[in-house]
Amino acid sequence: MFASKRLGKELTKMHGKLPPGITLVKADDFQTWLMDIQVIDSNPIYQGETYRLKFIFSGNYPIEAPEVVFLKDDSHPIPWHPHIYSNGIICLDLLDRQGWSPVHNVESVCVSLQSMLTSNTKKERPQGDDNFVRYNTQRPRDISFVFHDNQV
Amino acid sequence: MSSPSPIPPPNDRRSSRSSSSAAPYAGDGILVGGPPGSPSPLALRASNSPSSRRRHSRIVKTPPEFQSLDYVSAPDSNLVCLICHTPFDKPVQLSCEHYFCRECLDHAWAPQASGRKTCPTCRNKVETDKDIRPVPKIIETMLDELVVKCPNTKAGCTWTEHRVNVNDHVMLYCEYTPVECSGTDCRLQISQKDFHKGCLHYTVSCDDCHASLMKKDLEEHKRNICANRKTSCALCSVEVLRLDLKSHINKDCPKHVISCQGTIVGCKFTAERAEVVLHEVNCAMATMAPHFREQQARIERNEARMEPLARKVGILEDGLTNITNMLYPANSNDQSFPVTDPLDPNDTDPQAPTPDFRLPPASFPPVPPGNEGAPTQPPFDSQVHHLLTLHDSLREEVSRIANALTDLDGRTNMMIINESQRAKDEMLHANAAISSLRMHLQWLVSATIHQRTTSAGSSPAKTAGSTNVSAGGSSATRATSARPGPSATLQGPFRRLSDSTRQDTKL
Ligand SMILES: [Zn+2]
Ligand SMILES: [Zn+2]
Ligand SMILES: [Zn+2]
Ligand SMILES: [Zn+2]
Ligand SMILES: [Zn+2]
Ligand SMILES: [Zn+2]
Ligand SMILES: [Zn+2]
Repeated sequence: MFASKRLGKELTKMHGKLPPGITLVKADDFQTWLMDIQVIDSNPIYQGETYRLKFIFSGNYPIEAPEVVFLKDDSHPIPWHPHIYSNGIICLDLLDRQGWSPVHNVESVCVSLQSMLTSNTKKERPQGDDNFVRYNTQRPRDISFVFHDNQV
Repeated sequence: MSSPSPIPPPNDRRSSRSSSSAAPYAGDGILVGGPPGSPSPLALRASNSPSSRRRHSRIVKTPPEFQSLDYVSAPDSNLVCLICHTPFDKPVQLSCEHYFCRECLDHAWAPQASGRKTCPTCRNKVETDKDIRPVPKIIETMLDELVVKCPNTKAGCTWTEHRVNVNDHVMLYCEYTPVECSGTDCRLQISQKDFHKGCLHYTVSCDDCHASLMKKDLEEHKRNICANRKTSCALCSVEVLRLDLKSHINKDCPKHVISCQGTIVGCKFTAERAEVVLHEVNCAMATMAPHFREQQARIERNEARMEPLARKVGILEDGLTNITNMLYPANSNDQSFPVTDPLDPNDTDPQAPTPDFRLPPASFPPVPPGNEGAPTQPPFDSQVHHLLTLHDSLREEVSRIANALTDLDGRTNMMIINESQRAKDEMLHANAAISSLRMHLQWLVSATIHQRTTSAGSSPAKTAGSTNVSAGGSSATRATSARPGPSATLQGPFRRLSDSTRQDTKL
């Protein structure tokens, strides 16, 4: 109830104007939305690529953080980043139970991810990516990441 | 923009039914014809009885949620809560000067452990109660004055007003607020304005597009949805809603032939509306028409008020006639009655029973002389009126008889009292006479005994005794209750006698 009202507001606002490099792809219901982001300035790692984000909202959004992952398909790769696993799971304090705040929204999450990519210079995956991708069965929001690196 | 009307909200009508009766409603389950779920004829008849409404003992309305309100213009971003993304509802201020709706803050803090609450925006620690402060008055005023649309706008309400009034509007005045349907077996909702129409939750088909839909949605359908909802006016070929066609022709259509407003004053001008409008600008009679209409209305109002007054006057006049007839019972059939105007009681008449009681003259003409027998009566305007008058006069009659009876009763009583008093007096006289006679007798007896015992020795004493007897007897007859003479003059043996005499007079 709370979620659908809030998402309705966000949707109307996003239909109006969005920051450059962020586009709304699909928002047919108040459970799953698809967003595309591009890195605007010329970072060679992300040049010319579009990444697709999947938002999954619980009924308690925005009190609870949405689940945000990158989706991989033919035209949308998973961006290289030391905090983004190759299965699309993102390790960002903003999306963690502790780091989330209800003042954030879909747009601000997209902007944060966009700037996270923009400032990145390392074309690498997190440590233990292979193992994590192979053995993880938890949902992203239930994983407790250790935010070891605050520069990125 | 409609402002709250002073008319009490319709739900007040049923406030008296708040006590829900537990008596089972006889019509339950009996549905005879009619649209499904609509009240049966039985139910319709009983629909005012409290038992048939037992499920609806109260109209439950949901208060508007501020978060779903539709604002007429995009609100200032400074007044928008970052959690719910709508203008603040009962906002509070944290010590870091970040504002939130109280409710949003509670939601946001629900998962956080107490004592470790933080500001959702800046993550500053919040000492729960101490750091939550009310917002400045001006913020509240700005929020109150945000203009919103009625939450029932989709249902047809056109209300837009300051947000501070929206609760009252929805809860009290809005005709479109959904309430529980009045149908006995229906649990759907219906606009408040349609509540009294009974259950409208049955399927009908639109005449214009043959779509089938619920009866309650028909008007909305015809106004906004129906594919075939528009038609063009046959006269002016303007496109209008079918629903509004009649009112268009009667009120707006420039080609509809109407007559000048001044027609009630005599203007004969009749033409298409557009021409008539031009004509009316210059037509003196059209200018006067509103005044005439107003006058007409006033006359009608006064006439309506006059009728009951006339009836009242009629009844009063009849009453007066009765009084007059009672005061002068002879005037109706006694030609020798000396008063010149038999109906004017103010004429000085020495024989008038109440000379100082003045009545106004009766307002109807006196009976022409020679019309004997028939009592003077004004024409009656109805049978009821006649009966009322008759009833009045009978009542007068009865009360007069009752008075006469009381009078008579009093007089008889007085007579009886006087009579018995006289009888009593006479009895006293008789008693007194008897007792004095008895005394004389005893005196004589004792005298005789005395004479016998003293033998015939002294003759002079004997003569003296006889003279005493005659004197004492005369005095005794004169005095009724006084001590008899003989006892005073004669000593000894008569002492005891005086006591007995007193006893006798007591009878
Ligand atoms: Zn809020
Ligand atoms: Zn703060
Ligand atoms: Zn309304
Ligand atoms: Zn119904
Ligand atoms: Zn239709
Ligand atoms: Zn027309
Ligand atoms: Zn005219």
